[in-house]
Amino acid sequence: MIIELGHFAVITALILAVVGIFSPIVGLKRREAVWVEVGKQAVTLNFVLISIGMLAMEYSYLVQDYSVRYVYATSNSKLPLFYKVAGLWGGHEGSLLLWSWILSFFCMLAARIHWKTQPAVMPYLIGMQSTVMTGFLLLILFLSNPFERIFPVPLEGRDLNPLLQDPAMVMHPPFLYLGYVGLSIPFSFAMAALFSGRLGEEWIKATQRWTLMAWLCLTIGILMGGYWAYYELGWGGYWGWDPVENAAFMPWLVATAFLHSVMVQETRKMFKVWNLFLIILAFSLSLIGTFLVRSGILSSVHSFAADPGRGVFILGFLSFMLFLSFGTLIFRSAKLKSQIEMDSVLSREAIFLFNNLFFLVAMVTVFIGTLYPLLTEAMQFKKVSVGPPYYNTVFMPVALGLVFLMGIGPYIPWRKASVQNLKELFLMPGLMALGGLAFFAFAGIRNSYALAGLTVVCFVATAIFSDFAKIASFWAKREQISPIQGFVTAYKKNPRRLSGILTHIGVLVMVIGIIFSTIYQTEKVLIMKPGEETGLGSYRIKLIRLYGAQGGNWEGQEALFNVYKGETLLTQLRPQKRFYTVSQTPTTETAIHQIYTGHIFLTIPEVAPDGSWARVRALHNPLVLWVWYGGGIMGLGVILNIFRKTRMKISAARPETAPEVAVSLPRSAREEVLHHRSNRWQTLLNAVWPGRKEV
Amino acid sequence: MKEMAETKPPAAGIRGWQIALLAVILGLIILFYKGLWGNPSYIPPVLVGTAAPEITAPDLYQPKEVSLSQFRGKVVVLNFWASWCQECKLEHQNLLAIQKRFAQNPNFVLLGVNYQDKEDLAREYLQEHGNNFEHIRDVKGRISIDYGVYGVPETFVIDQNGMIRHKQIGPIIGETYTFLVERMIEPLLNGTATAS
Amino acid sequence: MMKHWILISFLLVFFTSLATAETLTEDQLQVRVKEVAKTLRCAVCQSESVWESNAELAIQMRDIIRERLSQGQSPDEIRAYFVSRYGDFILLQPRAFVGMNWLLWGGPFLLLIVGGTFLFRTLRKWVAQTAPSPPEELSPIDERGRRRIEQELRSLESDK
Repeated sequence: MIIELGHFAVITALILAVVGIFSPIVGLKRREAVWVEVGKQAVTLNFVLISIGMLAMEYSYLVQDYSVRYVYATSNSKLPLFYKVAGLWGGHEGSLLLWSWILSFFCMLAARIHWKTQPAVMPYLIGMQSTVMTGFLLLILFLSNPFERIFPVPLEGRDLNPLLQDPAMVMHPPFLYLGYVGLSIPFSFAMAALFSGRLGEEWIKATQRWTLMAWLCLTIGILMGGYWAYYELGWGGYWGWDPVENAAFMPWLVATAFLHSVMVQETRKMFKVWNLFLIILAFSLSLIGTFLVRSGILSSVHSFAADPGRGVFILGFLSFMLFLSFGTLIFRSAKLKSQIEMDSVLSREAIFLFNNLFFLVAMVTVFIGTLYPLLTEAMQFKKVSVGPPYYNTVFMPVALGLVFLMGIGPYIPWRKASVQNLKELFLMPGLMALGGLAFFAFAGIRNSYALAGLTVVCFVATAIFSDFAKIASFWAKREQISPIQGFVTAYKKNPRRLSGILTHIGVLVMVIGIIFSTIYQTEKVLIMKPGEETGLGSYRIKLIRLYGAQGGNWEGQEALFNVYKGETLLTQLRPQKRFYTVSQTPTTETAIHQIYTGHIFLTIPEVAPDGSWARVRALHNPLVLWVWYGGGIMGLGVILNIFRKTRMKISAARPETAPEVAVSLPRSAREEVLHHRSNRWQTLLNAVWPGRKEV
Repeated sequence: MKEMAETKPPAAGIRGWQIALLAVILGLIILFYKGLWGNPSYIPPVLVGTAAPEITAPDLYQPKEVSLSQFRGKVVVLNFWASWCQECKLEHQNLLAIQKRFAQNPNFVLLGVNYQDKEDLAREYLQEHGNNFEHIRDVKGRISIDYGVYGVPETFVIDQNGMIRHKQIGPIIGETYTFLVERMIEPLLNGTATAS
Repeated sequence: MMKHWILISFLLVFFTSLATAETLTEDQLQVRVKEVAKTLRCAVCQSESVWESNAELAIQMRDIIRERLSQGQSPDEIRAYFVSRYGDFILLQPRAFVGMNWLLWGGPFLLLIVGGTFLFRTLRKWVAQTAPSPPEELSPIDERGRRRIEQELRSLESDK
């Protein structure tokens, strides 16, 4: 019964989502604020209803109701509780439900947070979000229904995919969805800006935290996915340029470009259409990613089962969204004019444009690489594969360019840099870069990418730290305090800039981690018998014995290794080869020993049935943890940025922003709102639909 | 890039970048639509029309070497199978039927290649499902890699001159069976096959 | 006598080269196998290379690579062998001059160059259109300016 209740709740949610599309439109047409209010209630109720759907599913997991087909397919009575709960997003149908739930939550949240401050945006926000919502709910209810029952009722579930039975993998999809869906809020604001013609900085300011939050979640999701791949897939790498990874990476790249280019609009009031384009592109790419993953169009380890009907529906929905958003951009932008004031090619605004160019080229590289096999097939050419060697050759130089710009963009002045400026700012970093190049070349690094990377890292690090030194000593001198306090003062004066720079430092740390864990990686794959040993760089590993092992829902073999450095025993490692009995899936469990910030990494992908030998994959990955430390620092920078105190900066009135939009209502005046709302809304509605102003 | 358009008077209407953007979106949708009907795990065969790579491999039952060249002048149907392969079971009766049908023809050979398997399991499988033709063992996967096999069952038809004429990916059932027998093997044996 | 020396030195060179080839084998061979195997797709897995995969086929392919490398074949020859059996699909790094693969390899760089040039020219055009600001506004901060800024900042602080 509970599951039918959930099913019914989600069906109702679909109806309400349709209401959410049309009521704001009616409101705008008829200039009646009450219709917008209806939309707001609809999205609020939507959240409640989809929550009921989620809870009904979770209930079925907990009571092990295998009459629900999806529960049967992704759970098992022997599964630990944690994975029973997480089973909901262990497959296609349930993860779509999770996606819609997050969407409804964000939509409700955004409508409530911005209701008073951004009334003009509301009809569009509610309308756009409900449109996306409708698409996903239709997909869920008609083509991927998790509430479906089966008969006869199986006694036992088929078990969650063992590869997904892992904490990082449990948290990875929710974070990715938070990121994807989070982008929908700035997207809706951008669409509102386009429809209403208010292209000022208003929407950017209002959505700043949304974008940062979405970016943060996307970053966390990607990093978790990387870590999961690293120790769960057992080949010792963290990024395989798999189509599904790429699908998450592309919106990330564009969102990052967007986070940078909005600064130009905020400071210099330029590139308005460009920013709209970027955020629309970022959200469109997350929809395209959804299509690529869910339609099974690309072969990928993560793809959900292929189903052309499903694919056709998602494609139809995707096309609708693409034409709606880019079409609006095209037709509205023809009427938009923004004043361009460019004093010099050597200025921060110009460098930001180059930054955007590089990010877009990076995105296009990933895009072409991901879709090229599809293209050749569609054009009757041979079937091809595009894999890591391609990206390493083509993507890396572009990425390096981006890292290099990180040392220039934040430091070059706005408007115009003089030769004197450039010398002051970049002479030192340039010299340090050359010094670094000489040092690393002398130290014996021959890989040209690694050398170029380290040179660029030297350049950027010097630029960052000499800037830190400069501001710290400035405030120290002025306030008569120590340089450290000076730095703290500087941070308090401009938390946004410095937390942004912290994110850049995170990138540098990550780049160092990537370079060293790649070029100094030692890897061996060999067959070992108990008692045998092999060298691994400056370490030795010895296979002591092989024996049987078993857990709740699996059985398999375990190997005991001793790891030595010289004659000292460092540690004992126990990698496993598991076989999950219910789902009939083998997995390899990695054993890792941390040495400083590197790893000794062992797996046994194959064990002789009689236990006489094992195929061993042994790696030493130096500095590999820097990749995630760097990611952590990046995240910290963004968290500081999200929770910084907003400076009450009074900006000059902008002609294209209607003054009443910028003014927020007095906090206490609830009655006042109730009284005046209709009038106020009336004014707003007149303002936001420019074509009908004469009414 | 948009800004250039903006600096011009807006009366000019739709401009280049806007058309380009629409074209890209349209192209993408068409590409996706076409892609939906493709099979991402299908690999087009490249060996059809070329000389069949030589095989020298041990027989599954007897301690003897079998080589492909000893069948020169005959039509050879090479079937890759494994005891762990579910789809192979579907086609097994059809394979037996093919052998039965052409057994009298001295110019026909059906040769099974046991792919990534254990000898005893393979023999057990044949005992259970029946056997009326010769099988060889694919030691270290050399034969299957030489033939570009990436999954079982896969079946190759080799003509009297040692050329690969056809490759069948997946089980020989239904229409595939009729096609293989009536359109591939019979014409080749009768010498009425068209070089295609 | 001379002949002997030539013979001996010849043999010496011959055997030392054999010996070095022998010592290079295990570790260096693994590195070279890895180099080749990383550029080949494991045909039965979905997006893993022959090096990373633990599938039977990948292990067998690694053995073939190893065998052929120690027979003195070059990585390109080995790749060509696999392409002749599995088609271009087996390569994780499509060949640059086949079909329209130039688009794949050149596209991003072409975009970077074309985009960069376009951007640069547009920027120049904008700069030309923008009325030049008074020069003192643009000059780097000199001592006088710095003092002024500090004064401003101080007055801001005293407002509190």
